[in-house]
Amino acid sequence: MPDLTEDDLMALAKAAGITIPPHLMAEVGYSLNGLLEALDNVPATGADSVEPLPIVIPPSSDAGR
Amino acid sequence: MNKSEIPFLSTMQLAGLIRSREVSPVEAAESYLDRIEQVDDKLNSYITVCREEALAEARQAQEEISAGGYRGPLHGVPVAVKDQFWTKGVRTTNGSTIHGDFIPDEDATVIANLRSAGAVLLGKLNMSEYASGDAFRHPYGRPRNPWDLERNPGTSSSGSGAATAAFLCSTSLGEDTGGSIRGPAAFCGLVGIRPSWGRVSRYGVFGASWSMDTVGPISRTTMDCAVTLGAIAGYDPKDPYTWDVPVPDYAAALTGDIRGLRVGVIEERVNTDVVEPEIGDAVMRAISVLGELGAVIQEVSVPLIEHSAVISSAIIGSDAASLNRRDITENLDQLDHNNQVRLLMGSILPAGAYQKATKLRHLLRQQILDALEQVDVLVMPTSSIPAPLIPAAAGIGSKQEVLDGYAGRRSFTAPYNLANCPALSIGCGFTSNTLPIGLQIAAKPFDEMATFRVAHAYEQATDWHTRRPPI
Repeated sequence: MPDLTEDDLMALAKAAGITIPPHLMAEVGYSLNGLLEALDNVPATGADSVEPLPIVIPPSSDAGR
Repeated sequence: MNKSEIPFLSTMQLAGLIRSREVSPVEAAESYLDRIEQVDDKLNSYITVCREEALAEARQAQEEISAGGYRGPLHGVPVAVKDQFWTKGVRTTNGSTIHGDFIPDEDATVIANLRSAGAVLLGKLNMSEYASGDAFRHPYGRPRNPWDLERNPGTSSSGSGAATAAFLCSTSLGEDTGGSIRGPAAFCGLVGIRPSWGRVSRYGVFGASWSMDTVGPISRTTMDCAVTLGAIAGYDPKDPYTWDVPVPDYAAALTGDIRGLRVGVIEERVNTDVVEPEIGDAVMRAISVLGELGAVIQEVSVPLIEHSAVISSAIIGSDAASLNRRDITENLDQLDHNNQVRLLMGSILPAGAYQKATKLRHLLRQQILDALEQVDVLVMPTSSIPAPLIPAAAGIGSKQEVLDGYAGRRSFTAPYNLANCPALSIGCGFTSNTLPIGLQIAAKPFDEMATFRVAHAYEQATDWHTRRPPI
């Protein structure tokens, strides 16, 4: 996938309600584009058949109810 | 015993001398406080030294023990904790200037548990700002590695590693979200365990990622580590995600006998050119030692493990941005440069990427649990490299630098945070330039005992833990 541009980053930031200072824009771009590219390259066989449950729920607590 | 020799005892040795009243808690506290004063200006391992409070606690412990009220192996033992944990009446900075004046009015549960065990709190240990391994600036002094002062002691529990290795506390606590206990343990030649998520309370702990933060000990021996974990672990109604299950007597089970225990070598993290040759050789020799001790060695496969760093980064990045939302919008320029970039990135990470990461986490976790159906423990290097040189500057120079980072050492510790498995690092040798090397041992959720058994047996058969850094 093509890298996100500075305009794309600014649009995402606006939607998130934050401001990216101009002097940090390039590095935020490297960081996000790098993460998205690396994630895109992970073989995701089977990912469509599992739920995105990140944690183990303790069976004996009220957590998560 | 000469007081200046007390800091070089193991926790269990010191505990024995305190119990038999050959060493008093006050002598022990004074010996550590003296050594901190002599040495720590080179290491910056402490943010706050609690001299008067520690001496008062030591006097109280001495009175209790003299009156026949011995509480157990940490009673009167001087300990130190990462400055991420709330301590009643003592400044708790989370490694930042933003929290530089924060004085909690209650203890974190792990601190309360240490106090119940009778431990004497020497002080608060240095750390990476907001427990982020990426942070560059250290407002309370840059922590340095006792084995080589030009090198990093590991992040983010940097002070916990440096102070424990330099004999500036008997045992310590760190916090591990993506490897922040095991990294310092490996880089400083120590034993550190990231317990199962849910084994130890997170109440009163500054958060980094809800589903991956764990508190655990960094110690000089496996027995010390086991005793320290035993003191802090257990159900806490203040943290609803702790499990209400008994905490085993870890120390009692450390017999040195691992005959028949099945050890799985993760082929994707051992047979790879990502690992520096000296590290790979040391780990393979350690695995041979386990075989000589009677363990059954076999290779296992966890195909997704090499991608664990990016999966972890997506989740932690998003969690950290949410946890620190106010600082991003109100105090951004007070944060470390690298943390500014990391938190901004986490704030704009698309939901689709986060969802993919959590699904991949599910798949990776299942692969690890499947492997643990074949064997009792999994082993691999704790890090692909030894302690790196302290970086010269902050910042990210390119996208490629980010991609290279995902292929590196974080993909060795992150898998077990993602899988919520206990994982321990123990020293298994040194590089040719005398930098410690770590062997990582992981087990099924809540089976910390298996990691301790293997580490203890290995430790009994080797002498790496007896070496002292040149400081």
